[in-house]
Formats: sequence, structure tokens, C-alpha cells
Amino acid sequence: MSFLKINNVSKSYGSTRVLHNIDIDVQEGEFLVLVGPSGCGKSTLLNMIAGLEDITSGTIAIKGQAMNGVHPSKRNIAMVFQSYALYPNMTVGQNITFGLEMHGIPRPEREKAMAEVAEMLQIKPLLSRKPGQLSGGQRQRVAMGRALVRDPDVFLFDEPLSNLDAKLRVDMRTEIKKLHHKLGTTIVYVTHDQIEAMTLSTRIAVMNAGYVQQLGTPKEIYDNPANLFVASFMGSPSMNLVAAKVVANADGIFAQLATGLRDKVNLKFSKPSEALKGFDQKEIVLGIRPEAITDPEGADRKASHIEQITNRVIVTEPAGSDTYVMSSLGGKDCNARMRADAQVIAGQDVPFAINMDKAIPFDPSSEMRIA
Amino acid sequence: MSVASTENAISTGRITRAFIYLVLILFVTFYLLPFGIMVINSVKPLSEITGGNMMALPQVFTLDPWFNAWNSAQIGVDPTGLKPYFWNSLKMVFPAVAISTVLGALNGYVLTKWRFRGDTLLFGLMLFACFIPFQIVLIPMARVLGFLGISGSTPGLVLVHVVYGLSFTTLYFRNYYQVFPTELVRAAQIDGAGFFRIFWRIMLPSSGPIIVVSVIWQFTNIWNDFLFGASFADQDSQPMTVALNNLVSSSTGVKEYNVHFAGAILAALPTLLVYIVAGRYFVRGLMAGSVKG
Repeated sequence: MSFLKINNVSKSYGSTRVLHNIDIDVQEGEFLVLVGPSGCGKSTLLNMIAGLEDITSGTIAIKGQAMNGVHPSKRNIAMVFQSYALYPNMTVGQNITFGLEMHGIPRPEREKAMAEVAEMLQIKPLLSRKPGQLSGGQRQRVAMGRALVRDPDVFLFDEPLSNLDAKLRVDMRTEIKKLHHKLGTTIVYVTHDQIEAMTLSTRIAVMNAGYVQQLGTPKEIYDNPANLFVASFMGSPSMNLVAAKVVANADGIFAQLATGLRDKVNLKFSKPSEALKGFDQKEIVLGIRPEAITDPEGADRKASHIEQITNRVIVTEPAGSDTYVMSSLGGKDCNARMRADAQVIAGQDVPFAINMDKAIPFDPSSEMRIA
Repeated sequence: MSVASTENAISTGRITRAFIYLVLILFVTFYLLPFGIMVINSVKPLSEITGGNMMALPQVFTLDPWFNAWNSAQIGVDPTGLKPYFWNSLKMVFPAVAISTVLGALNGYVLTKWRFRGDTLLFGLMLFACFIPFQIVLIPMARVLGFLGISGSTPGLVLVHVVYGLSFTTLYFRNYYQVFPTELVRAAQIDGAGFFRIFWRIMLPSSGPIIVVSVIWQFTNIWNDFLFGASFADQDSQPMTVALNNLVSSSTGVKEYNVHFAGAILAALPTLLVYIVAGRYFVRGLMAGSVKG
């Protein structure tokens, strides 16, 4: 039985429906990330788990108990907010123990719990300060301390890192992951940052327009996106999505697409699905991640089928660790990730190696993956 | 001149600076002159005023007019001075200010953090009350006070001032809490604090600047109110302003201008003190509410 069960949950404001029949089961100890662009309903869903928003229909259950209508404080959850939401008039110590005080826990126990949490998060020297005197990273720690001290069944994080600067964000990300490893608690985490989603989660729910687009492990989401939205949203730089035509013949099934040169190329699918055969002579959208298009020397040696084509380089973007090379494929700019020291100059015709194991066909009308 | 106009105030030239000070001093003098004349004449014997120049400094310094105004001047029937009316005013002002401020804070809290259907309309109606002239409510208010059996008493005046001030205090607190992060309320809810606990423990302690604004505003308005005091108070509950009027406009005997001046200053002193003590928070608080409207 799942630990946190979101069963056929919908949310409407008046006649506007913002969440549609959400079904997510979270196992104990799982790190679920809800990711999506702003306005996709991910924060609303989190607030519904917390009890801060009503559930229009469906049920949310924690440990087998339906939580519909249960007050937030009685759900045994803790939440870390985007703005940290530290009480400005209380010291760090009072902030951390406020929840315990409200639950009528006697002072000695509160002090003990606070000391443990302060030890774990290394915020002991800050306990007597006011939130206004803390830096962003320190506030973040205190906010986590306030959540930890409650020893909740489920932790809810609402974009907790988006107010931090880039470097601190990466550090805190690692910190949160360590904490999850150490405590093994169940976490639901909302973010719009797909890298946070990939690095932190054990499972990801990609959301858009009030629907869960795909629910799966980070690898499933990344390698086998269910539709064009997931494909383009997850991954940075994002997946190349180019127009192609399916050509099936005795040698196999090919994607035929235009290059920056005069001729068209046929790329052979390494593991075509049955459904793809039905698209013979039809237009599809071919999705290829930048790292699946490389220089021939940098190609994945474990790939079962690599297509090598020659194409004209439009522009190169050396990023230090890699060099991104832009060329025209299927009438669109197509990003390829090459080794940092690959010798590529704009305007030249160079060989590209395409790992066809990672090429994913999409139906342009339904926007779903053809599988 | 072109140099002076493009540079900022810190590095203005000496002539410009002198000019600015000259203008400022002129204005300060202009505004302080009436008060200065009141002070000067309140410490003169009456003969110096009636016999000569009101602008002249006192030849004989005396505090008698002040004592006279405070505890022995003829007001109404008895020669009580302003003292009992001063206490009447205090007994009216403190509860009225406290109640209207707390209720305004509660209104602002509900209107911003516990939104309900029609809350904007309700707030609009409350705002509307800010623009209703005092005179219009006199008769309905008299009926209400009579119905409640508290007409002609201090509690009645407190009620009138609370009702009338509520629209202003609600406006202040509503605007202040509008930009107060809702996440704090949500965090407190998850922590297990209820409606009033959140109000007392989270909202009110963070409302210092706007409480100061509300208190100054209410204190000044209620202390200075004449119309409600004259309309709804009886002999035992008349506030300072009404008593001052009775002192100055009594038609019998000699007009003791020095006593009148002293009495007027006494009546103005509390509001002046409130401004001096808390004035700098006033502007700060007004700004705090309006940064992100």
C-alpha cells in the first residue's frame, strides 16, 4: 500500500478547472518531484496535500487515512516554503519550536528536539538571532529545521531553492539529497527547475496545464519522454525536435530529413516499434538529445546503431566542458554536443554521429511518442 | 547655475544652500508664530494683553493663567477648570483608540488572509465610510445611542468614535497586511496555530509601524473631535474640546485671554506629545503599507 495516495484528484476555482484527475502513488521514503512550468498546478497540488487548499474531487490519503477536510496541523506533514516563511518577530529557536509549542509539547522536550535539529543542520550559533539577521542560505536551513523538528510523515517543499543564488542553490540541493538519504523520509518537492527534478528525485511527475504528463523515474522521463511537452521541458539544452518523414523498406525503417546541405539523409531506427510502421510515408517529429549527436570519435561505443552524416556547421558554442555545435536538420537549428576539443569551425562541413538508440519518434498530430 | 541644477543636493553651492535655509527659516517662523503668540500671552497678566501689544514679550512672567485654566476657571456652571474634562477626554480616547485599532487590525487580517466571497465589496463599503461627513451620522447615531441606553456617557462616545474610526483603521491594516506574506499564515496553520493565535502571535507583533500610524491617527482625531463630543456628551462626560469652547465663549464676566491661551495649549498638548514621541514612525508606517500596492 502506498504511503501517500493521490487518487483521482481534481481542483476547480469556480468554473475553471486547474487540476484534472491526478493519480499519484508515493511509496514510503520516496522523493517525488512535481515539475512543470509556472501555472501548471504543481503548487496547488502541493497545497492540497498540505491541506491549505480544498480538494474539489477525489481523495488524498496519507498512511491509508483520507485527508480530505483534515486540518493542515493534523496531517503530520511539514512544509518548507519558497520564501521560507520564517516568523519575523521570533528568534530562530522560537521559529523552530513554534509548531511543537502549538501541539502542546512541554518545554524540556521542545528544547531537546531543537538542539538535535540545530546540531544536524549546523545552525546552533544562530538560535538566538532573528530571521532578519540571517543570510539566504541560513534562512533556508532554519526553514528546514522547522520542518524537521516535527518529525513528520511527509515533507513538502515548495520551490525551496529558487530564492538562492546559483552557487548556493547547487550546494543546498546536495544538502537536501544528503538529508533524504540520511533520514529516509517521504518527500514531495515542487520545482520548475528540471535539473533539480532530475538530480533530487527518485520519481518525477511532469505536469502541464493541470495534467500529469508523465510519471516515472528520472531516467524514464529523460530517455523515454511520453510526449513532446515532456521531451522539450526536461533536459538542458533541450531535445532537438525536427521534422522527418518515415520511409519503410526491406532494409528497415528510416527517418528521412533535410540537412543544411543539398541532399536529404535517411537515418535508420535501431529498434523501431510496430506502431512506427504505420507511419510509412507520413510526417513525424524526431526527437534527438544534443548528447546523442556527437563527433564520430566521441560517439557512444555501446550504441547499437550509429548513423554518420555530413552537415554544415552554422555556429559553435564552446562551453568549456563541451562544445555545442549548431547545424540545420529537418529545417530547424539542431544542437549537437561534441567533446570540448573537437575541431569544428563554423561554415565547414563536418561529420556528425547520431546515436539512433536515443532517437525518439513523435506523432505530430497527437504529440505523443510513437511506441 | 547649470552646474548647480545638474548636481544633487549633497554638493549644492554655498549660495544655494543659504537660500534654502532662508526659505526654510521663513516658513518655520510663519508656522510657529501663532503657537509662539499663544505661549507668550499665556504667561502674561491679563492687564498686559488688554492694555497693550499682544506681540510683546511678557514684562511680568506668571504661570497663574495656566493654573487657572487647569483647575479654577469657570466652565459651564462650576469653576472647575479644564481638569475634569481632561480626564473625560482621556477616559474616552484610550479605550476608543485601543478598540478601534485592534478591531481594524482584525478586519485587515480577515480581509487579506481569510478571504471570503464578497470580501472586496465589504471592504469597499467600509472604505465608503471614510467619506461620510460627521454631520450625516449625527441623528442616526443619537437614535442608536438612545436605543442602547448609553447616550450622554463616556461609553457612548467611545462607541461613536470606534464606529467612525473603524473604516480608517481597517484601511490601514488591510493595506499593510495585503503585502504581508501569506506563506507566514500558512506556515503557522501547518504548525497548528488557529485563527486568533496567528493574529496575536504572528500578525500583531509584526505590525509595529502600522499600529503607530493607526494610534496617532485615531488619537489625534478623537482627541480633537468637537462635534460628537458636543452632540452626545452630557455635563459629566464632556471632552476637553467642548470644555475649551465653553471656557472661551462664556458670555459672562471679563474675557481672560491669557487663561484662554493657556487652556488652548493644554487642549492641544497631548496630540503634540504623541506626534513628537511617535511622529517619525508615522511616515515610516504610512510608507510601509504602500510600497507594493
